[in-house]
Amino acid sequence: MHKPALYLSAASTISHQPTFRNPGFSVALGPVEASSVLINPDYKAYIEAGLLRRMSKILRMSVACAKDCITQAGIEQPDAIVVGTGLGCLQDTEKFLNTSLSVEGLLPPTSFIQSTHNTMAGQISLSISNHGYNMTHTQNTLSFEHALLDASMLLREGDRNVLVGAADEHIDILNDIAVRLEAELSFEVTAPLTSGASFFILSTENQGDSKVALADVYTCGGTENGQEEIDAFLDRNGMQAGDIDLALYAGAPVPGVGRNLDYLSLAGIYPTASAFALHYAMDLLGTNSDVKNVLICNALRKSNLGLTLLKAVEA
Amino acid sequence: MGVCITGIGVVSAIGMSAGENLNALREGKTGIGPLHYLRGTKASLAGEVKVSNDDLRKALNVRTEYVSRTSLLGLQAAREAWGDNKRSGVIRTGIISATSVGGMDRSEVFYKDYLAQNNPDYKLLTSHDSGSTTERIARELGITGYINTLSTACSSGVNAIMLGARLILQGALDRVLVGGSDALSGFTIDGFRSLMIYDDQWCRPFDESRAGLNLGEGAGFLLLEGEKSLELTGNTPICNVSGWANAADAYHQTASSPDGKGATLAIGNAIRRAGIGLDEISYVNAHGTGTKNNDHSESVALRNVFGDRIPPFSSTKAFTGHTLAAAGAIEAVFSVLAIRNNLIFPNLNYHNPIVETGLVPATQLGTAVEVNAVLSNSFGFGGNNSSLVLTKYA
Amino acid sequence: MDSLKQDLKKQIIEQLNLEDLSVEDIADDALLFNDQGLGLDSIDALELIVLLEKYHGIQLTNPEEGKEAFKSINTMAEYINKRKAA
Repeated sequence: MHKPALYLSAASTISHQPTFRNPGFSVALGPVEASSVLINPDYKAYIEAGLLRRMSKILRMSVACAKDCITQAGIEQPDAIVVGTGLGCLQDTEKFLNTSLSVEGLLPPTSFIQSTHNTMAGQISLSISNHGYNMTHTQNTLSFEHALLDASMLLREGDRNVLVGAADEHIDILNDIAVRLEAELSFEVTAPLTSGASFFILSTENQGDSKVALADVYTCGGTENGQEEIDAFLDRNGMQAGDIDLALYAGAPVPGVGRNLDYLSLAGIYPTASAFALHYAMDLLGTNSDVKNVLICNALRKSNLGLTLLKAVEA
Repeated sequence: MGVCITGIGVVSAIGMSAGENLNALREGKTGIGPLHYLRGTKASLAGEVKVSNDDLRKALNVRTEYVSRTSLLGLQAAREAWGDNKRSGVIRTGIISATSVGGMDRSEVFYKDYLAQNNPDYKLLTSHDSGSTTERIARELGITGYINTLSTACSSGVNAIMLGARLILQGALDRVLVGGSDALSGFTIDGFRSLMIYDDQWCRPFDESRAGLNLGEGAGFLLLEGEKSLELTGNTPICNVSGWANAADAYHQTASSPDGKGATLAIGNAIRRAGIGLDEISYVNAHGTGTKNNDHSESVALRNVFGDRIPPFSSTKAFTGHTLAAAGAIEAVFSVLAIRNNLIFPNLNYHNPIVETGLVPATQLGTAVEVNAVLSNSFGFGGNNSSLVLTKYA
Repeated sequence: MDSLKQDLKKQIIEQLNLEDLSVEDIADDALLFNDQGLGLDSIDALELIVLLEKYHGIQLTNPEEGKEAFKSINTMAEYINKRKAA
């Protein structure tokens, strides 16, 4: 089936790197330090105080990025809001679990309310009074790709602008868990565990200055032969590995491409770090005229493969 | 031809299969009662599935003990829906499950020991993330490729069905197993108690005296097939997935708006998508949790859409309890059963209409009408509202 | 009574994460659930019920009952004194 290109018209990321409202950040970005912390903007500029006071890290990041995207794209309302999260609202989940197991009397409800995975998408809709389609995908390391795929389908069904993004937050216990469950979770802790949120506006039309088109996105769970899947994906898009100028990968480098870059070394590790990679790629495509085709190859978890193909929009 | 349902599976407090659930629905027999398997919670009544984890594991032939009850219940329902269908190199097959708590039933066992520094077993956390719930079910059924999980609180199950139908219509998949699963946990019981909407008495959906919900657990799955898949499998369609919609209420973090804005949008858009008239809806399987807020808001939404001609409606949550992310999928299976057997299920524990809205649900098993189209509603936290329209296969 | 009101203000600021407010910002007769007052909502009402139990040992099982009691700091203090005297 021929898929018309879709345009990425805005991007916003809050992470351990200077990504927020900092176009061109990709040029000088170094590896994320183990001692780094989340770089928070002044959230009050983006979120109403009444809502902000209850918000955990992941909610603040998500709503601020979402609002920033909408401003950048210059649209009134997106037609839909689609979010991916691997582990959801961990801070509130742990908080409520803690009180539920240790407090005998009445329990404060706020952390329970905000423990559900769709709190980000819900809070965004509430913040901007959006009544459209509102969805949350949670397929661990492929959560963002699934959100992106859903957003792409919505645009083919008639929507014009979709707000799509991903967020995951770090809590201290994750460090402990990652070490103890390295074998079971089948990924290596090659970079610091971090938090991050990235949101985008995906549109059917080029709003004027969009420099990047989303050519295709694909997910494969329970896969045994990643390389075959990559070849088939490129083939479906009329390409070969040699046509890819840059592969941003998690897991293993992609053979035969122009250049490989481990995006986890930049973003740190969180289940939806591929959303950081997408923003990085957009930023790079916007500043570097030598790069035309970028493949994001997400095998953060070996059995789960996510592939995202981006192309520079010809001026 | 559209999207067809060719298989159904369900496990809930009223039975371990579609047949057992149908019998209890016919007989008006609730599954809600004191908890037997999940110990140490503050819930006096809940809709518990009457089987232990050990027995589920044995029956399903799952060898590891590091598996959540959410996965086990899901697998039980998914196996029934999948039936004796075969894996195929030609039919692109996917699975979408919905869950709100994932493996919380196991995580809270870990966390209790972790807090007490009582040698916690970290492996219990391997089933924590919601995605792993679906991966486990996929692995046991041999499904690879498109494996996805949705989590939009109490509307998740309907959203999984909606996404599956869209994937088939867009030609991304030929066949997809869709559904939802959630196990009871101390976490959710305490959560709804903290919101002061957990009724210690039997829940009473759409009754003036309603005072909250009873939680339940379970899973529902449906096998959806498109034209190409049907040609190859030769399966007999039972129903069509004809309409669906999701809309955000954008009113409050948990409460539904008094004017039922999001619910009205979801119901109206789903029926429009189905391309049928309002008067063609034979039965509405309502969300009807039994909370003051939901049942009022949903009544207003039904009035907004149908005016004075509201079809027969009922909530089946007084049978199963509110099964959260599984609810939309379980109730979609019930809707299929309603169509297949021309039945309207009774709304248990109802006595008096809600004063402000005056809506009267069906209280007796309806057998006298032909049921051709069912509207099923599921509304959740974060103002997430979803509606589904299923129709007799044509 | 005045010290109870001061305590209530401190407890409310903590329980409801009203980070930007200090005790001096909350008038005794300010309407807690009014946008001209503190602009609290139904989730805060539940948090106030927890607060009453946690700090004052008062159980309030019906959220409706809280509506009158939670109008302002004044009414909250009165309610606490009344319940404690009973």
